[in-house]
Amino acid sequence: MTQTHAAGTLKPAKRRRWNATDLGLIAVFAALVAASALVAAIPVGGLGVPITLQTLAVMLTGLALGPGRAFAAVGLYTLLGLAGLPIFSGGRSGLGILAGPSAGYIIAFPLAAAAVGWLAAVVIRRTVKFRAVLLFVSAMATSIVLVHGLGIAGMMVNAKLDFSKAFLADLPFYPGDIIKNVLAVTVAIALHKAFPDLLVRRVRQLPQKAAAPRAATPGTTTPEASAQQ
Amino acid sequence: MRGHGFLLANYVPGTSLVHRMPLWLKFLLVLACGMASFLIVDWRLAAAALAVLCGLFLLSGAGPTRLFRAVRPLLPILLVIGAFQWWQLGGPVAARIVLNILLCVVAASLLTATTPLHRLLDGVVSLARPFRRFGADPERFALTIAIMLRSIPFIAGAFSDVRDSARARGLERNPRALVLPVFITTVAYARHTGEALAARGLGEPED
Repeated sequence: MTQTHAAGTLKPAKRRRWNATDLGLIAVFAALVAASALVAAIPVGGLGVPITLQTLAVMLTGLALGPGRAFAAVGLYTLLGLAGLPIFSGGRSGLGILAGPSAGYIIAFPLAAAAVGWLAAVVIRRTVKFRAVLLFVSAMATSIVLVHGLGIAGMMVNAKLDFSKAFLADLPFYPGDIIKNVLAVTVAIALHKAFPDLLVRRVRQLPQKAAAPRAATPGTTTPEASAQQ
Repeated sequence: MRGHGFLLANYVPGTSLVHRMPLWLKFLLVLACGMASFLIVDWRLAAAALAVLCGLFLLSGAGPTRLFRAVRPLLPILLVIGAFQWWQLGGPVAARIVLNILLCVVAASLLTATTPLHRLLDGVVSLARPFRRFGADPERFALTIAIMLRSIPFIAGAFSDVRDSARARGLERNPRALVLPVFITTVAYARHTGEALAARGLGEPED
């Protein structure tokens, strides 16, 4: 029991440390973002306009894992891509990306995953109705503010475009983004149905758990309960 | 299951001066080029720096094909930017902008072409070491990286399997049928990995 105490308090005392399952989720979702940048774009709808899967995977990582783990997963992907693993879209890699015009989008990925994860956690904790709409709104807000905002900033810094030109260059990505966010939300809702404890366990049960097991068996508290004391 | 070759994509074995340079020095070189792209204001200076780096690249034995391959994905967009800025700001400024971007890209690909991937990953892991006092654990970090690398071929395979099965059902235009099973597979795979780690006593926080 003293050991679980130490595990709970040594790290930033606010949250529990990641266990092996969290580690697995972080690693595999980082791999998912990498793989989705490497596979071919998928056709959508009757016209068959292809959309790339990378930003979809980033958003879904946030919606599925919540802020902390999503930031870790997408951050790991970005870090390894910058270190030279050819996992950015089109097989690009390395620090040279940071000099290119798409630098802003790459930097925005982990931040966007964290932001949409935070919003998704709030939505899932607070609401029962209209979850799909609220999740879509949070995904859209994140991609407009963070992905497009930093993307425009990246083009302004690296390609030395002024704001209006960069804004126009960024504009063609919006329709695809809307489709991707709709798709991301449908997939995220199905994911949370298939794995109900994927995100909610960490969010909803924290206040309840402290009381329940200890009342039943005072001697043998579970590690989770004792770690929160 | 495909996509195993991607780990070998960039490295060119060799014993040149650049190969023998320590990793931190190469990293500083890349960083300096990144800084230079903001500081250099004369396009002739940028061109000279780019020529020096291209010389270093060829000296390392990686060959002109690889140099071209490193730059190729950026070429169309650089042409657009160059033409646009020429029209807006004039020739010298446009040349400086394009040359500075090329400078950074060549420097970065020099790093990846002369350093084997496992050395690069060791370098990334050692980045975590200073954060140990804040609770970072380099060993778990390295473990996470290893699991991620191992998972990429599996997930790329899952994408193509799901695409095949959607096509078999006539759903190759349905994005939900193309994407959702991959994500379900991913989460299940991640959980199994986590359980396998926990069963072996790996990956749990130690202290």
